[in-house]
Amino acid sequence: MLMNRQLVFLYVTLAVSVGYLVSALRLGAPVVDGGLTPAFFPMLVGGTAILFAGVLIVQKLREARDAPPVETPRTFTHLWVVVAVFLYVVAFKPLGYFLSSGLFVFALIVLFSGREKLLVKAVISAVVTGVAYLMFQQLFGVRLPTLWG
Amino acid sequence: MDFILQVFSSFSLLLDPFNLTYVILGFVIGTIFAAIPGLTATLAMALLLPLTYTLNVETALMACASIYMAGMCGGSITATTINIPGAPSSMMTALDGYPMQQQGKGALALGHAALGSMFGGAVGALLLIAVAPFVAELSLLVKTTGKFSLLAFAIIVVVIAQRGRIPQAGLAACIGLMLATVGLDAMEPVTRFTYGYSNLTAGIDLMPVIIGTFAIAEVLTQAYSHTDVSAAAAAADKVRIRRRDFLPPLSDIRKIGFGVYFKSCLIGYFVGTLPGAGGSMGSFLAYTETVRTSKDPESFGKGNPQGIAASESANNAVCGGAMVPMLTFGIPGDPITAIMLGVLVINGIQPGPQLMADQAGLIAPMLAALLFSAVVLIPLTLWLLGPYFIKIVSMRKDVLYAVIALLAVVGSYVATYSTFQMFMALAMGVLAFYLRRNGFPVITMLLGYILGPNLEEFLRRSLALSNGDPTTFFTNPDSLFFVVLTLIFFYFLVIRKPAEIPKAVKTK
Repeated sequence: MLMNRQLVFLYVTLAVSVGYLVSALRLGAPVVDGGLTPAFFPMLVGGTAILFAGVLIVQKLREARDAPPVETPRTFTHLWVVVAVFLYVVAFKPLGYFLSSGLFVFALIVLFSGREKLLVKAVISAVVTGVAYLMFQQLFGVRLPTLWG
Repeated sequence: MDFILQVFSSFSLLLDPFNLTYVILGFVIGTIFAAIPGLTATLAMALLLPLTYTLNVETALMACASIYMAGMCGGSITATTINIPGAPSSMMTALDGYPMQQQGKGALALGHAALGSMFGGAVGALLLIAVAPFVAELSLLVKTTGKFSLLAFAIIVVVIAQRGRIPQAGLAACIGLMLATVGLDAMEPVTRFTYGYSNLTAGIDLMPVIIGTFAIAEVLTQAYSHTDVSAAAAAADKVRIRRRDFLPPLSDIRKIGFGVYFKSCLIGYFVGTLPGAGGSMGSFLAYTETVRTSKDPESFGKGNPQGIAASESANNAVCGGAMVPMLTFGIPGDPITAIMLGVLVINGIQPGPQLMADQAGLIAPMLAALLFSAVVLIPLTLWLLGPYFIKIVSMRKDVLYAVIALLAVVGSYVATYSTFQMFMALAMGVLAFYLRRNGFPVITMLLGYILGPNLEEFLRRSLALSNGDPTTFFTNPDSLFFVVLTLIFFYFLVIRKPAEIPKAVKTK
């Protein structure tokens, strides 16, 4: 079994490590006139990362051969949370703190607990957004973006 | 001696209502986060990190110290009453705390946990106050090559301490080191790994790394696992704790013996000084040692208060120990001290050998707050609020995680008023989530990221000073000391078989 979720993560890590090492090699020679250059340390780190990723991939392939991995039920809530955070950051300045944060908190509450009692959840979202605003802006003097003004 | 006097005179700062409010608030927030299974005091501190921008550094550090102390004892509430440790450091407490709860002695078990925590926290803080100035003086003897070997020692020990997953820990450390190399080189005007993004020229900021690693990753983990806490909430609803049953009788304390308290404190303290060991390791070793030397090992796991005393004394003593390398060498022992280091860095204070000499005025109030939290806040908070803390488990998790996510994302905006930092926090959160899910210890990544810049700088400076001769690391006595220490740790943690766990502990 060359592909399972853990192996995919390791392959990605290996690819990133290789990319990092290639970028480090492009920085120039690691040693010039007996002194270390800015390329030396990244090369060392990149090489070590590739070594560890390689060891882990071999270990996982052996494990997968000896005992096929048990497939656990897939959930995607965490991916939706990532999408929600991403959209929140994108909307944070254009929509202002209140609108973007209210929608974000509401979306997360719904993601964590389902679509029942939406009105109650909307009220809770508004209260949470308001209290957080008071904490950041009034108590700690942080300037938060607004839609108008 | 001057420093010790300075710490004790810093108690006057606690009389300032502003400072006292933050210390008490920090303690209560730390206890709440530690009491809720799945949340930790580390998360509380990560969420509160952005607020340190608006506080003066003494107050911020004092609040951090009280959160740290609270985080070690707060987990004992749910560990004892519903057998679900709120924090990993309270795992061993549950072994004897919950059987006591089942015997109708839950309040007494909490009383023993509070007493052990108070004792451990106080001894750990006192040892820190007494020992740190001497270690700081010794640390001044460590020169450039020695500093490199010391940092390499810290990273290697954190990696090899993860027995059974050393390659994962090694790879996580490398990822941290990779993150540390992004941006302008410290010694030459060369930018590295920025790929044309000007936002990355100054490097990856500490704030999004901490918020992403601890807060956003935690929200993603909870979203992924969707832990059903309804059973825990139902169990918590049934628990009734009366304050009058809380105080342990003197006969019980005598039966436990001061030797058990002291020994556990020392174990916790020394475990704390090791990078990456933490409270759970401290309480495990102290519990194991208490069972091993007990005349009645079979009584452990059935409601023996000695087990609670050993576990809680040790995990709270860890607080004092973990601050020694952080304050004297700038090496954090665990995630919480890593965040404390962040508070120092955010305020432009460079941790390291000179810190205790140059900034004693900033550090002394923090140590005073640590001692105050142990001696006054632990017993007072658990006695006054203990019966209510257990109800926290019934809190709505959907609202809780939404609040955490909101505070985390907006908090990462606070540092620079830039949405770029918010994206960085998200990216770091996703990275930490996948690392955790695949069994990678994120503390090694964080340590690699924090220590990386100095590790590289001292390596390059050492070789520049020796004209490229790598034997300099073995010919300089300070460096050789840490090389030998690394080899000793390597032998004990990698080559030598682990010590046999007593049967009484193993069966639990």
